[in-house]
Amino acid sequence: MELAVEMRNITKTYPENNLRANDGIDFSLRKGEILCLAGENGAGKTTLMKVLYGLESHEKGTIRIRGNQENISSPLVANRLGIGMVHQHFMLVEDFTVAQNVVMGIEPRKYGIAYDLKKAVSLVNEAIAHHHFSIEADMLVRNLTVGQKQQVEIIKMLYRDVDILILDEPTTVLTELEIEALFSSLKQLAKRGKSLILITHKLKEIIAISDRVVVMRQGKMLGTYETKDVNEQQISALMMGKSISLSIKHAKRTDESQPVIECKKITVLRQGQERPLLKDLNFTAYSGEILGFAGVSGNGLGVLEAVLGGFIPVFDGKILHDGNDITNIGTAQLRRQGLAYVPSDRLQIGSSLKASVQENIIVGESRSFRKNGFIDQRQVTKHTNDLLEKYSTKGTAQMPIGTMSGGNIQKVILAREIERYQDYIVFSEPTWGLDIASSQFVYEQMASLRDKGAAVILISSNLDEILTISDRIIVLYRGTRVASFVGDEARNLSKEEIGEYMLGIRKQGASHV
Amino acid sequence: MSEKRNPTSKNAFPTLKESIGSLLIVLIALSGVIILSFLLSKTPSKTLRYFFLGPLQNAYYFGNMLNGAIPLIFGGLGISLAMRSGNFNLGGEGQIYSGALATTLFALYLAPLGVVGAILALFIGAFVAGGLAGLSGYLRMKWDTSELITSFLISNAVVLVVNYLIAGPFMDPSTSLIATRKIPESFRLPVLLPPSSLSTALFFALVAVIIVHIYLYKTKSGYQLRMTGLNSRFAKYGGINTRKFIVLPMFLSGFLYGLGGGFAIYGTYFSSIKEFSAGMGWNGLAVALIAKNKPSMVIPAALFFSYIEAGARSAMLHSDVTFEIAAIVQSIVFFLISSEVLFTLFEKKRRYS
Repeated sequence: MELAVEMRNITKTYPENNLRANDGIDFSLRKGEILCLAGENGAGKTTLMKVLYGLESHEKGTIRIRGNQENISSPLVANRLGIGMVHQHFMLVEDFTVAQNVVMGIEPRKYGIAYDLKKAVSLVNEAIAHHHFSIEADMLVRNLTVGQKQQVEIIKMLYRDVDILILDEPTTVLTELEIEALFSSLKQLAKRGKSLILITHKLKEIIAISDRVVVMRQGKMLGTYETKDVNEQQISALMMGKSISLSIKHAKRTDESQPVIECKKITVLRQGQERPLLKDLNFTAYSGEILGFAGVSGNGLGVLEAVLGGFIPVFDGKILHDGNDITNIGTAQLRRQGLAYVPSDRLQIGSSLKASVQENIIVGESRSFRKNGFIDQRQVTKHTNDLLEKYSTKGTAQMPIGTMSGGNIQKVILAREIERYQDYIVFSEPTWGLDIASSQFVYEQMASLRDKGAAVILISSNLDEILTISDRIIVLYRGTRVASFVGDEARNLSKEEIGEYMLGIRKQGASHV
Repeated sequence: MSEKRNPTSKNAFPTLKESIGSLLIVLIALSGVIILSFLLSKTPSKTLRYFFLGPLQNAYYFGNMLNGAIPLIFGGLGISLAMRSGNFNLGGEGQIYSGALATTLFALYLAPLGVVGAILALFIGAFVAGGLAGLSGYLRMKWDTSELITSFLISNAVVLVVNYLIAGPFMDPSTSLIATRKIPESFRLPVLLPPSSLSTALFFALVAVIIVHIYLYKTKSGYQLRMTGLNSRFAKYGGINTRKFIVLPMFLSGFLYGLGGGFAIYGTYFSSIKEFSAGMGWNGLAVALIAKNKPSMVIPAALFFSYIEAGARSAMLHSDVTFEIAAIVQSIVFFLISSEVLFTLFEKKRRYS
């Protein structure tokens, strides 16, 4: 069968963290097929596609397009070769019409120079009709739904005579109906001879649409399978891999456990999107317990983090802290009421890279500032040096924190947040990008907080982490709670089993606590 | 980078590496003077001698050069404060002008109160200017309008209004100038270096530098302001009320400009003359940019700017070039600095995108 794309032995290392995102990947795409590229977060799927689309360079390996070896140095070259990519985040001008967005860069001309808007509209309408999409060329992009915006992105590529189309997580933001519509359009395209690659980690969708599936894990290729020969469980097992075990003692909820944070039916909506980001989420975090939230990215973990951090308001529902209503009071107010929080984005939110270590330590702190509004310089230096020593962090108080390694930056953030915690603390992706030793350090800190009686909330898309240290687990799927596990149940849970809940294959009954 | 600072005052002065960009700009600007002199003057060596040595040759020129730096120090401080918080204040022209007029009018009105009246009038002027800049901050906080645009637009309108007030209702008919009446003798600051017009306003400018430095690096509010400017997401996450640090720094920025205008009246002009402060606002911006928003570096930067102006004035009097040579050199500086700022902005964007 004719091959549209053939990638051989692709290797790509990110110099920033020496991470081998692609390790000798062999990949092929047949003409006219729909192929799903599956894997967990950080498996290297997007990197591989960026290499193909000319957004990333690779150190080793060759790429053949329709049999010819090519050097794809930029998206422009990729476009010329008939390769198009639809990104997860749309790149559209909101104030332009569909037609203006589609023809951007290759506008039809009148008399050689003037922009022929009429012709653009008719050409784009033709393209829309040809591919049976449901939008019109003169609609303003601002007024479109998310699903329609995605259609614009696809039309934009088709208009450029692309016949190899890459879609990065195309269904994340869509409703069920929109997904169905998208899939039928994609099948149409395949029938007309276009070759499609879908980056996804949603098993149901892989089964529903693909001809073949490629599974990646931790930068390595695990294999290519005919979709009809595999089932969801097998793909899930491949994606998740074997567990590595770190030993952390678990705790049992006792009679002394108190509810610290209670979320009652919280719902979060986003403008212009029909599906809520979180829907009627109920949970209680108790003292002396690590409550883990598991889920695949795009299913509400990030939103939950932003809600607990006070960055986005809830549309409906209530959040209580020790019985006090703290719904939508904002970050500053939450901090004053005892929020301690290690954010997932430690470089943009958790720290200020150009500021010194001590300036990063004292934010929101009261001891370092005198009553008269001046900084207590001696206290600042002492406090910072004490913390650096206590958390065995290499560095000085005066150096800009951005010159530290990622692991040490995380230690500074941990030190700051653990020092200020009162009765609860939120950890989001606390070991992302850290090595085993640093991860172990983080887990020990979390366990010791739990033993001191803190209500620890862990939000993580890393399954090993969730299973290793959580005393109780809640699984989120598409913004709702689909399963929860307590005590022995949580301890004996297998990765495959929880993976099925995360990927929406299984769901617990409503009666489950 | 200039932002790599900490609350200790040990490095109030930048290291050589940090200031190399500014030094380079100064050198390029000065070589501009040399090239222009050779192009424009029939007697380039004479022109250059008066340009470079003129400002230093006697007490009159030297004093006036120092005096010219005073409003630039206030303006440079004002801009530095705003920039440290991540805000742009492009309304210096209107702020310094309106602050000066308000101070003049209230000084006339409060004459009977003596020193108290003088201080009161000075602060009223500063509050007026601070209010104008603060308004842009408030608009950004409320509706996310660009403070860069609004401060510029408001300032342009205010300049016209002040022009009208000076030429209309408040004009002193007894002089041939378009100006208000002169403030009482008792309000005028003593002259330091006669026959130049250098006054004790210089000391107030130096005190302002120290106060702004202490505010930025020694107080909680200054710390929060800098954190907001460095990374507002981090500041918000850390519990800092980042909305406050849109309005406050803009207000303080205008306040300092207003003080600059007020001291120009008390020390040099004694009445609001039509368009007497034209250019001071923009030059304050350039001063802050050369100083990399470091309060302590505002002093040499302001002196440099004032030196170029004084040099051009001296060269114009004693040789065959026109005063525009100063404007050309200042625009070279402005151009180089903005390109450097744009360059770093561009770098930042590329790194985080």
